[in-house]
Amino acid sequence: MTGHFVVLAQEAGVSNEFAQTLVDGISFGAIYALLAMGFVIIFKSTSVINFAHGGLTGLGAFLVAAFVTVLDFPGRYVTVLPEWGQWTLNVLTALLAAALIGVILERVFLRPMVGEALFAVAIVTLGLDIVVRTITNDWIGTNPRPLGAPWGLNVVDLGWVRIAWSEIVQILLTVILLAAIALFLRSRTGVAMRATAFDQETARAQGINVGRIFSVAWAIGAFLAGVAGIFFSVFPRRATGVDQATAFIAFRAFPAVIIGGLDSIPGAVVGGFAVGIAEAAANTYLGLEFLGSGFPGIVGYLLMLVILLIRPYGLFGTPEIRRV
Amino acid sequence: MRKKSKWLALLLVLGLVLAACGDGEGGDTTTAAGEVATDVGVDLEAQTITIGLLSDLSGPFAPLVQVINSGHEIYWANVNANGGINGLQVNLEVRDTGYVVDTHVQLYEELKSQVVAFGHSTGSPHTVAINSQLQADGILAIPLTWYSGWSDPDINANLVPHGVPYCIEAMNMLEYLTLEAPDAATLAIASSPGDYGEDSNAGARLAAEELGLEIVYDGTGLVDAADEATLAEVASGIAGSGADLVWVTTSPTPFGSIYGQALAAGFTGALWSGAGPTWNPALVGPESPIKDALAAEFYVSAYYAPWGADSPGNQEVRELVEAAGADPLDYYAEGVIEAKIMEQALRAAYDAGDMTQAGVLAAAKSLESVTFDGLAPDETYVGEPNDRVQRAQFISRPDPAGLAEGTSTGVTLIESMYTSPIAEAYEFTETCFSLG
Amino acid sequence: MRGRPLLHTSYESDQALLNTTAKRVMFGILLLILVSIPFRVVPGLKFLGQEDWLRLLSTTAIFAIGALGLNILTGLAGQVSLGHSFFMGIGAYTAVWLGGPVGGPFIGLGLPIWIWLPAAGIVAALIGIAVGPTAVRVRGLYLAIVTLGLVFIGEYLFRNWNSLTGGAQVGRDFPRLQLRLWNEEAPLVDFTTSGSWFGLDLSGTAKSFFVLTLLALFFTLLAKNLQRTRVGRAFMSIRDRDIAAEIMGVNEFAYKLLAFGISSFYAGIAGALLASFVSRVIPERWDLFLSVQFIAIILIGGAGTVTGTLLGSAFVVLLPRVVQNFTLWLQGVAVQGEGILASIANVFVATSSNDFGLVNTFAGVGPGLSVAQLNLVLYGLLIIGFLIFEPLGLYGIWLRVRNYWKGWPFTY
Repeated sequence: MTGHFVVLAQEAGVSNEFAQTLVDGISFGAIYALLAMGFVIIFKSTSVINFAHGGLTGLGAFLVAAFVTVLDFPGRYVTVLPEWGQWTLNVLTALLAAALIGVILERVFLRPMVGEALFAVAIVTLGLDIVVRTITNDWIGTNPRPLGAPWGLNVVDLGWVRIAWSEIVQILLTVILLAAIALFLRSRTGVAMRATAFDQETARAQGINVGRIFSVAWAIGAFLAGVAGIFFSVFPRRATGVDQATAFIAFRAFPAVIIGGLDSIPGAVVGGFAVGIAEAAANTYLGLEFLGSGFPGIVGYLLMLVILLIRPYGLFGTPEIRRV
Repeated sequence: MRKKSKWLALLLVLGLVLAACGDGEGGDTTTAAGEVATDVGVDLEAQTITIGLLSDLSGPFAPLVQVINSGHEIYWANVNANGGINGLQVNLEVRDTGYVVDTHVQLYEELKSQVVAFGHSTGSPHTVAINSQLQADGILAIPLTWYSGWSDPDINANLVPHGVPYCIEAMNMLEYLTLEAPDAATLAIASSPGDYGEDSNAGARLAAEELGLEIVYDGTGLVDAADEATLAEVASGIAGSGADLVWVTTSPTPFGSIYGQALAAGFTGALWSGAGPTWNPALVGPESPIKDALAAEFYVSAYYAPWGADSPGNQEVRELVEAAGADPLDYYAEGVIEAKIMEQALRAAYDAGDMTQAGVLAAAKSLESVTFDGLAPDETYVGEPNDRVQRAQFISRPDPAGLAEGTSTGVTLIESMYTSPIAEAYEFTETCFSLG
Repeated sequence: MRGRPLLHTSYESDQALLNTTAKRVMFGILLLILVSIPFRVVPGLKFLGQEDWLRLLSTTAIFAIGALGLNILTGLAGQVSLGHSFFMGIGAYTAVWLGGPVGGPFIGLGLPIWIWLPAAGIVAALIGIAVGPTAVRVRGLYLAIVTLGLVFIGEYLFRNWNSLTGGAQVGRDFPRLQLRLWNEEAPLVDFTTSGSWFGLDLSGTAKSFFVLTLLALFFTLLAKNLQRTRVGRAFMSIRDRDIAAEIMGVNEFAYKLLAFGISSFYAGIAGALLASFVSRVIPERWDLFLSVQFIAIILIGGAGTVTGTLLGSAFVVLLPRVVQNFTLWLQGVAVQGEGILASIANVFVATSSNDFGLVNTFAGVGPGLSVAQLNLVLYGLLIIGFLIFEPLGLYGIWLRVRNYWKGWPFTY
């Protein structure tokens, strides 16, 4: 996606555009991986295909913008921390607010649909996406809202590759969150979540509070969507901040989910990086002239179609057992 | 469950009833009670005139259009308070088209039997879509776009444009940039697809030819606001081309992204500019990471004078907006300009004794001189296309410090009513870019 | 037999489309009302004869045709598809390829409507059949995301194929609803300009309204008939238990392809008609939101029923106008009314930039939703609401109302 560095690398006589493409692909793939992971966690635990993930992404990014620039809460009270520390604190608060909203949405709109056909529930999330996205866009207003990221436009130039500070933070954060999720799934609640994903009724019979698991799943999903939203709204994606188009980006992460398999969390991560690298590669190697504009945007879906022909349940998904 | 669906059913019936109530027998024609002929949109007994606004209030240009509409409201409120149009009060019927062509057409059909003319119509393909119907119905519309086709006699029978068209704007700005950077020899251009970007870049190419600039990167039509891949590609193309001048025509958010990425790729020292709607003060807002670089390298193009300019027209806008308790923004001026054109057309129609839709149209098309007291260059709607196409505009520099302090709207005016020699010499007979 | 409407004594009468007297009478009344609308004779419905309402009703007819197609695919055959707008776009661009003017900057062959309209449906159907094998390979919600991909891929294609579509943000003009025998200058019948039919003066909009309503009725007949044929029953068996159906001899592969084909045919026709009616369309028109509108129509109307689909189309297409009238009425109450009603209205509506309100009704900037945003939010809430509270949709509500009156006064 950030093919801009590739051209500069070429300019500087560095022929390692492959490495640059890889770096760009990984950094963008990290965003997709976060979105896909949140999506799959929700799906595994609640069997809900969450079309509202885009709305949650925009909402999370907007909340961060609001907490950082407008409210400066609680950063302004914790003056002992440096600027970037305050910023991080504000961001965490905003993301917790996003998680809370995710929980509320699940409770209000999706709990009544437990037991209904999956198609119907998926369409409810589609409707939810419209509502969340429209209201968030109305709050965002007409000008983009900057997120005040402390790393600004800074770039690290290693000679053979250029990488923006925000991309470094992004990749590191994705790895940390991945590890955290993996650890979480071994915890008591995590095992309960895995049990619920496997068989809801039996899990209830075992005494697991399935409703609480649903809330936790949506909280995690909204949190991860918010993090992805942040990285969509800072340099090098958009220098100006979150705007009304941010919520639509999440649709590009759906192929990542399918490629990895709807019910596999490691699959989601693999899928995310696959789509990111595919897009970066399309950007670099498939010039714009004959393909027109916007081709890297659909590369993810094309890759998904190819993989589905070979493995209809994604790379790591479990095949559905159908009984007559 | 049952109760709830009963309530749903009740709500539906209520909705239908309200829909019916909301629409009486609209569009009745009234014959003149006095010495002025009227048909639609002017009610001599109720002493009202109704003007329609087909606005984009929720789509990509909502930021500008919402403020422009406020400008209309504020101006007409002032006119009404001072006696209206010979005692007739002007009311606005605003509809949100969301920048969707079929909604635009649908809302045109809805309003055409309620209004005497359209105070503005947002979007070029949208205005083109209603153009043949405007001609069939004989109604006037002011396009809220600066597509050069509106000055083309084959297209503009029912339209009164204002402000310099995109392609001539590009000529003006590029020539000015060569004055600022006399050694410049290369040019990079990029734009959104559509009339806006293509028309503007057509002008840029014409200017490059006249000025002897070599176009080293051409990303016309490649900028897609929703797809960062295109923004990155364009940014790398511009940065990699090493051009001395850059002309980018798009909306503010993708522009900010392109500029930021080029900047981070180490591309500095070139002079940048773009068509009017490319600019938004938020680009140099206090939190913006690109504000200082942009302030040094960017030149803002505008069709009307910015807020802080020193002219009677600007003073009038400032007084009106401050009296309404609103914050300073440049876009109010556009609303006032459109309203002034309509006001002069209405007054001319009243004086001619014909305030039917056709009468207002004829009055507008015969206005020889529409003045704005320095807010914008004068317009004329009679004469040869080459003589009446607007060539003068305003040039400013970004002012982040003033914006942060609240002393300016983010720009400082440097050239007022500027026309470049190449624009002056350009033979305008037809549109620079055909919308087909 | 008199008084025993549900007692059928022959297979034909049982399978008849209008198998009770009540249905026949209602249908007759509906036809009469539809015919009379442009002449404004029915009291209470006179406003429907205005130009803009006629346009809305014509748009309803077009959307109904498209929705019937999606109903066959999703409601009848159980295949989830978010790709309906893609097939509409295919239909529209086929129409303009065949029917657009020869020469000029874009592709066009100048053929008459009786070629380009059916061709729009057929080409879309063929592409639908080509997509079909994916549906067999991939199931349920995976299919939903594959069809979602179709929409994006379609948008990419349409935006870049400038010579056919006019290019992003620009678009091109579409052939109008005019009947020509070949490509003579003056059309045989022109549905877009005012004129006189059988001695009655009609505006162009009224003529288009008649033609489009007629087409919609025709396709409704086809769709309703489909339900009682072998193909229709095969679709329903696939929807309910596709493995069992396969075992019973229903060729799942062939019928799924057929379902996609038929639904895409409807979509193609609807797309061509929509583009022709609006006369100018930009490639971005065929986006995900259009697909979602059709899903909304199916769900709000009642999935799997033709009547529900028609009700849903009317609901979804007329909703923006109703919401607009409602907010304008609220604004009137807030500004000029008195008492409690006025204060409640005032909370909902912001009449100037200093006023607080959930919805902005004035022209400029302010907090609160614009009317278009309110429309979107209502769409979303209605989809959610109907799915949670009334899964059978408007048709379900109609059923309840009808059953209430059927049993009256013994309603319990």
